[in-house]
Amino acid sequence: MQNNIIDIEKQALESIEQAGNSEQLEQLSIKYLGRKGVLTGFLRNISALPEDQRPSAGKRANILKGKLEKVFKNAFSKLESVDGKDFTGIDVTLPGRPAQRGSLHPITQVANEICDIFLRLGFDIAESPEVETDYYNFEALNIPKYHPARDMQDTFYVSENIVLRTHTSPSQPRVMEETKPPVRIISPGKVFRCDSDVTHTPMFYQIEGLMVDKNISFGDLKGILTTFIHQFFDKQTSLRFRPSFFPFTEPSAEVDIRCVMCKGKGCRICSKTGWLEILGSGMVHPAVFENVGYDIEKYTGFAFGVGIERMAMLKYGIDDIRKFYENDIRFLRQF
Amino acid sequence: MKVSLNWLKEYIKVDLDPLVIAEKLTMAGLEVEAVDERYNYLDNIVAAKVIEVNQHPNADKLFVCKVDAGGDELIQIVCGAPNVYGGMFVPCALPGAVLPGDFKIKKGKLRGEVSAGMLCSAAELRLETDAAGIMDLDGNFVPGTPLEEALKLSDIVFEVDLTPNRPDCLSYIGIAREVGAFTEPEQKVTFPDYRLPEGKIGDISIHDSAKVQISDPDLCPRYSAGLLMDVKIEPSPFWLQDRLESIGLTPINNVVDITNFVMMETGQPLHAFDFDRVAEGRIVVKRMGSDMDFTTLDNKNHKLEPDMLMICDGDGPVALAGVMGGENSEISNSTTTVLVESAYFNPVSIRKTAKETGIATDASHRFERGVDPEGTVNALNRALTLIAQVCNTTTIAKGIIDEYPQKQAQPEIDINTNALNSRLGTHLDVHEIRHILESVDFKVEKTDEAWLKVGIPSFRVDVTRPEDLSEEVARLWGYNNIETSYPMAAAKGKLLDKKVSLREKIGSIMTGFSFFEAINYNFVNENSCDRLNLSDRDKRREVETILNPISDQMSVLRSSLIPGLLETMKKNISLQADTLKLFEIGKIFFATQKGSLPEEREVVAALITGNRSDQSWYSKKKRFDFFDLKGVVEGLLQGLIIGNLSFEKIEDQSCPYYKNGYAALVKSGDTLIGTIGQINEKVLKNYGLKQDAFVFDLDFKALQALIHGNITAMLLPKFPSVSRDITIIVEKSVTIGAILNQFEKITQKQSLIEQVSLFDVFEGETLSENKKSLSFRVVYRAANRTLKEKNIKKLHTNISKTIIDLFNADLPE
Ligand SMILES: [Zn+2]
Repeated sequence: MQNNIIDIEKQALESIEQAGNSEQLEQLSIKYLGRKGVLTGFLRNISALPEDQRPSAGKRANILKGKLEKVFKNAFSKLESVDGKDFTGIDVTLPGRPAQRGSLHPITQVANEICDIFLRLGFDIAESPEVETDYYNFEALNIPKYHPARDMQDTFYVSENIVLRTHTSPSQPRVMEETKPPVRIISPGKVFRCDSDVTHTPMFYQIEGLMVDKNISFGDLKGILTTFIHQFFDKQTSLRFRPSFFPFTEPSAEVDIRCVMCKGKGCRICSKTGWLEILGSGMVHPAVFENVGYDIEKYTGFAFGVGIERMAMLKYGIDDIRKFYENDIRFLRQF
Repeated sequence: MKVSLNWLKEYIKVDLDPLVIAEKLTMAGLEVEAVDERYNYLDNIVAAKVIEVNQHPNADKLFVCKVDAGGDELIQIVCGAPNVYGGMFVPCALPGAVLPGDFKIKKGKLRGEVSAGMLCSAAELRLETDAAGIMDLDGNFVPGTPLEEALKLSDIVFEVDLTPNRPDCLSYIGIAREVGAFTEPEQKVTFPDYRLPEGKIGDISIHDSAKVQISDPDLCPRYSAGLLMDVKIEPSPFWLQDRLESIGLTPINNVVDITNFVMMETGQPLHAFDFDRVAEGRIVVKRMGSDMDFTTLDNKNHKLEPDMLMICDGDGPVALAGVMGGENSEISNSTTTVLVESAYFNPVSIRKTAKETGIATDASHRFERGVDPEGTVNALNRALTLIAQVCNTTTIAKGIIDEYPQKQAQPEIDINTNALNSRLGTHLDVHEIRHILESVDFKVEKTDEAWLKVGIPSFRVDVTRPEDLSEEVARLWGYNNIETSYPMAAAKGKLLDKKVSLREKIGSIMTGFSFFEAINYNFVNENSCDRLNLSDRDKRREVETILNPISDQMSVLRSSLIPGLLETMKKNISLQADTLKLFEIGKIFFATQKGSLPEEREVVAALITGNRSDQSWYSKKKRFDFFDLKGVVEGLLQGLIIGNLSFEKIEDQSCPYYKNGYAALVKSGDTLIGTIGQINEKVLKNYGLKQDAFVFDLDFKALQALIHGNITAMLLPKFPSVSRDITIIVEKSVTIGAILNQFEKITQKQSLIEQVSLFDVFEGETLSENKKSLSFRVVYRAANRTLKEKNIKKLHTNISKTIIDLFNADLPE
């Protein structure tokens, strides 16, 4: 008899476990707990037991009954969630509650990206003032007063000797006056020229770079700038170094990349040349070293300047530089 | 500078493809910006055959011609030229053609007869000076052949964008020298004959009638001059006009055209004076020395400054030296005696004069970059010869004047080829370097194993030191032939600059709060301070003004980021974007002493306006208010780990752009970080705005000073907390800040209080008008045990009582 109830429990649990749908479960429930079911039958037959065994057998049967009721309930609810037919639920096409986003200005993003490339190459960031003395903006960079090279940059004046910096290059003499070689810095920031039309804004961004050490060569300049361009665009980007003139570098080089729009076939963006001017660079002019007291016999170096807008325009396919400073939220939201 | 290939071939032998020439010039540092077909303007003009000529029925002097222009049918053209005849080959401009002078050819009617084109004269096509009749092509052509092809007209015009260091290439000879260096085999320039033609020299000596005196040799180291007599001023012959027109210059007359031609050829600017109008036949080159007015030959008046270099005659100035001649001595149709000037002027002096008078000429452009001081006499002789040639009545006076008080040095530079190679990263041997330099006419001598002595030709005013020669070698060897290498440098890293990392952190927090970064110009409207309603003594009125602004809207450096943000708001609202969350990190500027740099201060500012949430299925439309932005400031500072924050109501006029009572100072401890507030009506109106705007404005340096960097993580509590609320009713004038301060004081003494926060504010309805109901939640926790109800009950009652007493509060009914 003892064994009997254990067997009932074991069988019941096993068959509940195996029941695949609620119909089978329903039948099992009738089989074990129904009015003509196994447990009822067991209880009815208790009177057949010896008297001393009757109370404990009754108790055990009732416990099992409660236990099975619970197990059936769980099994039913488990099956319901698997094979239930009601999918009404929620309208998942209702728009979500927006987790709103903001973003950095595209110029900041591109500047950060460029800085990151040079930081990985071991350059440090050194900033310098946006309003500059004529000395740092021009003289220290080997651009004396009344030099025709001053025509290359239309300058905003605040007073006779104070200008809005026309390039980030003043960071070169400023850093070198403060630091002994070796020097490896980049200097991002705003620059200003009094020029305003479709292709010019009176304020724009540059990143200056400067590396000074023993035995730095023009070949090294090519190496660093090629690495930079390959990281910023891609490894397939072909580039060329073209002689140019900046008073503070000698030799000077413009760096062109194969037009990313037309792949070099010639288009409006590259004014049919197939090349895009990306940055200016060169070996630091000895006059600049002399101005900051560096030994020109011992040290050489290179410098470069990258226009950030140009890079951002190529990266994002923007054709009008003025868009950057209109702060139209529809524009900003895209980045 | 424009360069005609046909003209260039006078000086150098080159048969490379024009595009190859352009590429090679560019890669030698003379950037070719455009390569144009000179005769493109002859498009739609063909060689046509006149088949039939009939009298025009309605006009005696016109003919109606049937012309075979190569099409399926003959076309009818009305023509007025008396020399037209049947069987004649003529240039015929078809509809769509545009003749020089922007004359567009269209199909039309002339006196009632259809005319579907135009038969052209040589002058109309700028192919000859002959304007008498239509051009007789004199030969047999297939009708319809493009005229360019029929006449074998072909020329290429290069547009070369020269850098300011290469004045020597502002001439055909200079460009030819560069071209010669890259042709294979190398070519040398064929110079024009600089000798004067014997047969044209008269008996009179220049010294008998003309005198030149240089009073200021520092500004005019050399002045050469020649004299021409019996000149007849006429239009130039065709070849000369054609040369000038090929590069876009307008022919004027024979004398002036020759001076321009020789300038283009040699790079030496020349000036021709009507010598009969030069008083006393005397030329004095001197600083003006006083202020006076002067009329240049373009009929404009200029104020002369005392230090400007002038060419004077016996009476006074006749030319602005090196810039432009005067009206008083200009060549006119009646001129017969001409003095030709060929001088070397100090570049800086010319540039000053050109800047101050606002005149930029081809001459000043060259002088201010530096012409060849040794080239004056050759250019002079060339001009005298050519004038005598194109105007055959002319005789050249015997001799020339050549005042050269300050002989310009001819520098020699010693270069160490090892140093040169190591600067460039090349491995060129001495001979290669020597050869490269000689290809553009440097005089090179080998002095030692690795040393070269390089004589710098006088036209290369840009080369003054060994590094300049390294550039010559590099560009002629080819930048792209220099091997790419990588510098050996110490792997020494530094921490990211503190300012940079703070900026990045602020950017990431603000964008995380769904703000967009704006970048506004550093310059703002000159009336920005007025529009912000600033008082006269406000520091922000100490603005730095730009002397040459682009416009009044951009004429002062900003002393606050708020005007830029308000302008941006205005712009976006006009574009129908009326909900904005913007921030900007940038510098503001305050003027200091005159002539000193302004103070630059970095600021973080933000603006919100519009709806916190738009109307949607899950929420009602809600406008932003002060507390939205305050939450941002709190979140930002929390993100930067700056604690001890307080917001103190602004109760003075220090920020007169905020609405009274709706603005606060932001402080951490005693440090003022910035302000936050709602923009008042008046300022909104000044910016043409109609909706509420809230801004904050934080000082970057103050933030930087408050950052201590390290976070020390707290142990998390092990035992549960218990919360109890208290609701009190107080006078409206009692600030929440004051109550929270008191709670803070209690908290400091009572370690079981973990946190006190406000969770409800209620006014109106059942409350009397001057009261408000405030609900606080106090969280209790012990570090080492679970608190029991009875401990808390007593504590909470005590605390409640303290607060009620302190603020004279009531409990709700
Ligand atoms: Zn392209």
